[in-house]
Amino acid sequence: MAAKVDGETIVGLKPVMGYLHRNHEKIGERNTYLLNMPFTDRLDYFCSMSNNFGYALAVEKLMGIKPPERAEYIRVIMAELTRIVNHVSTIGFLLNDLGAYFTPILYAFEERELILDIFEAVSGSRMMCNYFRFGGVARDLPAGTLDKIRDLVFERLSRKIDELELYLTNNEILRHRSEGVGVLTPEQALAYSTTGPVLRASGVPYDLRRADPYGIYDRFDFDVAVRYHGDVYDRYLVRIDEIRQSIRILQQAVKDIPEGPIQEGKPQYQVRVPAGESYGRVEGPKGELGFYIVSTGKPNPWRYHVRAPSFINLTPLELMCIGQKVADVVVILGSIDIVLGETDR
Amino acid sequence: MYGSGILKGLLVTLKHFINTYRDDLRQGKKRYHTPEGIAYRSSKEAQGIFTVQYPEEKLPVPEEFRFIPFLVYEEKAEGEIEYRCTSCGICAKVCPPQCIWIIRSSDPNTGRPIPDPAEFFIDADICMSCGFCSEYCPFDAIKMDHDYELANYDRQKNNIFDKVKLGKPVSYYAQIRPDNYAREEAARVEAEAIRAARRPRP
Repeated sequence: MAAKVDGETIVGLKPVMGYLHRNHEKIGERNTYLLNMPFTDRLDYFCSMSNNFGYALAVEKLMGIKPPERAEYIRVIMAELTRIVNHVSTIGFLLNDLGAYFTPILYAFEERELILDIFEAVSGSRMMCNYFRFGGVARDLPAGTLDKIRDLVFERLSRKIDELELYLTNNEILRHRSEGVGVLTPEQALAYSTTGPVLRASGVPYDLRRADPYGIYDRFDFDVAVRYHGDVYDRYLVRIDEIRQSIRILQQAVKDIPEGPIQEGKPQYQVRVPAGESYGRVEGPKGELGFYIVSTGKPNPWRYHVRAPSFINLTPLELMCIGQKVADVVVILGSIDIVLGETDR
Repeated sequence: MYGSGILKGLLVTLKHFINTYRDDLRQGKKRYHTPEGIAYRSSKEAQGIFTVQYPEEKLPVPEEFRFIPFLVYEEKAEGEIEYRCTSCGICAKVCPPQCIWIIRSSDPNTGRPIPDPAEFFIDADICMSCGFCSEYCPFDAIKMDHDYELANYDRQKNNIFDKVKLGKPVSYYAQIRPDNYAREEAARVEAEAIRAARRPRP
């Protein structure tokens, strides 16, 4: 970022982005619909399952198909596991920015490793999962995976998040450096169209899983995590709350998952998508991730646009940083939780 | 007390530190460099040290793991090799970065194309390991490999895989992906039985 400073205080700031621009949207126009799926993995590379989910939703809206029950449950399980992975890593990175170099990251990464082992057993790859297809998921869970998920969700994760809270939440250094820093009022947050944990930490309880339920989220019993100060400490607390709510959703999903087919119709590589336009969105771990597709009936899209939450959440950075010190800017940037792959596409 | 948060945090890290040595004493020699030790350290009961000491210890790779693809061939009598691939070109069409190119061979007498690849190239540098080629191959001829130790010093020479480098026998495939192999063999046997039932009896 290009920051204008007066001594140690910031008076102006402009984020400079575009160093990772990979022409994702133009490549999306030359690819057919199915071929685009692995490219969406690489947008927000921490949460590849959520990106796949958004894209699958957008195309399924155009095609007018719905996945079978078991596939819907598997999708929710994968999306919530991704949310836990992302939030736990974000907390680790925030503490890295605050100076507690790598200890919280590596403690968080132990949980992330266990969840990534599940992703590897299910889809074949730890990060670039490429698991969702139009009308369901690619393949069924292998034997033993559901037990591993059950072990994690019912036993290990709550215990480990409690441990994380024990040594981080009341830490005096964290509290002094993050309370009152980078405040974003609810009116400003809405005016800059932020979404996700940044918006919820500013007091606006807007969660897409409740506002515009997709998949089977209307069946699950969970709360929307909100905090009211809008500073860095609240964004940290909102993420911990969201991890606990994700564990709650996972416990219900793992208990209720039915047997059955996992894909609607035969797997095809040339999908027939009727002409029209659609916008499919998911509550990704970083905010509202949306995919806008315009189709003219040909095998590849006419226009394909990604609404990247990191890009849009970066815009109020100047507002949050004016009057703060240079060291605080690093912390504020860490608390917004951006991923360059998504910001620059 | 001011500073109690920090002290409590330091106690947590101290506990992690002590847990490593306590588990070392409890499990003795079996903790490192054995499969049970590796499995313990990547399970839900892991406390203390979590690291798997690569390259002396390697994590076992799950069956679905996908890396660069390989062509499956069947070994006939007298060491003759028959590739299952019929060069239909679906894998090349369905590859997102378009890294496969196939040249179909033609019958030397009549000049008409025959279902056998004369040349089959995959550029391993471009390949995303997405698995689409193996997912949509109608003949089970191309599958994803498990071998991830492919680093070398000369990319231009080593990383364009041709048909010979890509070919691996069916026994290798059955060894790395037993469940998938069993399912496909069952489907093949069933399809053969249906075809045999439809054939007119002599």
